[in-house]
Amino acid sequence: MRAAVEIRQLTYRYPQNGRLALEQLSFSVAEEECIGVLGPNGAGKSTLLLHLNGLLPEQVSSAPSIWIAGEPIHSKNLDTVRQRVGLLFQDPDDQLISATVFEDVAFGPRQLGVTGAILKSLVGQCLAQVGLSGFEDRQPHRLSHGEKRRVCLAGVLACKPSVLVLDEPTSDLDPRGRREFKALLQSLPGAKIIATHDLELVVDLCSRVVILDEGKLVAEGPTVKLLSNEELMLVHGLEKPHSLLHRHPHGPTA
Amino acid sequence: MHAFANPAGLRSISTRSKLLIVLGIISFTVLLPRRPDVLYLIPAAALLVLWPLCRMPLAYALRRLLVAEFFILGIALMAVVAPAAAPIFLSTLLKSNLCVFTMLLLTWTTPFQDVLQELRAWHFPSVMLTTLALMYRYLPVLAEESRRMGRARASRTFSRRRSAAWQNLSLIIGRLFVRSADRAERIYLAMCARGWK
Repeated sequence: MRAAVEIRQLTYRYPQNGRLALEQLSFSVAEEECIGVLGPNGAGKSTLLLHLNGLLPEQVSSAPSIWIAGEPIHSKNLDTVRQRVGLLFQDPDDQLISATVFEDVAFGPRQLGVTGAILKSLVGQCLAQVGLSGFEDRQPHRLSHGEKRRVCLAGVLACKPSVLVLDEPTSDLDPRGRREFKALLQSLPGAKIIATHDLELVVDLCSRVVILDEGKLVAEGPTVKLLSNEELMLVHGLEKPHSLLHRHPHGPTA
Repeated sequence: MHAFANPAGLRSISTRSKLLIVLGIISFTVLLPRRPDVLYLIPAAALLVLWPLCRMPLAYALRRLLVAEFFILGIALMAVVAPAAAPIFLSTLLKSNLCVFTMLLLTWTTPFQDVLQELRAWHFPSVMLTTLALMYRYLPVLAEESRRMGRARASRTFSRRRSAAWQNLSLIIGRLFVRSADRAERIYLAMCARGWK
């Protein structure tokens, strides 16, 4: 199967202080695969996600480290990369920039030249997909946190990406919001890369995980197998998820 | 922020007409002589006619004028260094208040989104429109952020001294600037992620 995303020997230093943020990272994500990116705070998860969308490094290197659907990211194809890789930011208020929900969902497609009735229909479809039909004229600052997050996702889906990259998609959501958002993510097609501290979400959605610590890839493998390894989890600032502590004897195995 | 009043008298007036009237009043006011003059009664009379038609509550207007008044006074005070200070100071006060009041009537009767759309149709520079749209979107976010910081500060403030309150306020404003700069960077990245050039 062709890799939706392939990362080879990715290294990045913060230009402000020269600190190594990512060091020799290599892994790939297959089409339709959902993987979790785990690690303690400051491990480099968000920095990695910004690379996948071509937002980092500031100056794209001539020697590529990331391939999207077999095509390397370089300075001339950033527009295509950003359309193919949809990035959901951690704070919805960073992503919701327009005065109305319609305008916000339409922001990406407009950059791609979609206008008129097609744009209107596309926005309607995307809002329906995230369960927010009829929210077109609502103002983002009047929405709940969960609704804001859904509008953000609709805005990303409107660009028709083949890879979804999600940064802490369930942070700040209440239990019901988390459950509904998880079901929504489960229903979406395409490859998904989820950076999160929500290990239950990872157990439910991701077939595979990569664990980062201090910018290095320290472990990679099937979700249940890696997350059941209590020693590995503790060493890297994580904890074995509750659902794996009390597994049903006839439930799924590693 | 408020639900937009669309009183019967103004329902039939398009955003374009409203913008033209507002720009007309503001342009006329700005071009008035730099001294108190009987001509100032013309825009004032126009506003007095429009006000009842718009049905803008007095308290709404006063609250917003009060906020703007600090900035208006700041600008007017700069005129004090001019040779004939008093007439310029007074005319600046009059002009600014008339213009702000005109804008209040517009914002009371017209959703901001409609104003932006009309300005887009008039081919205003897109950078200017984007800046206006972002400002409108993020004012409530910044207000909420400053409220949260204020509450957090208050929870650890054990003095009722006025100087402590001012010190807290200055810290909050400073912190808000830093946070706004950080947020601006994240917003820019989020816009780029969706194809912004």
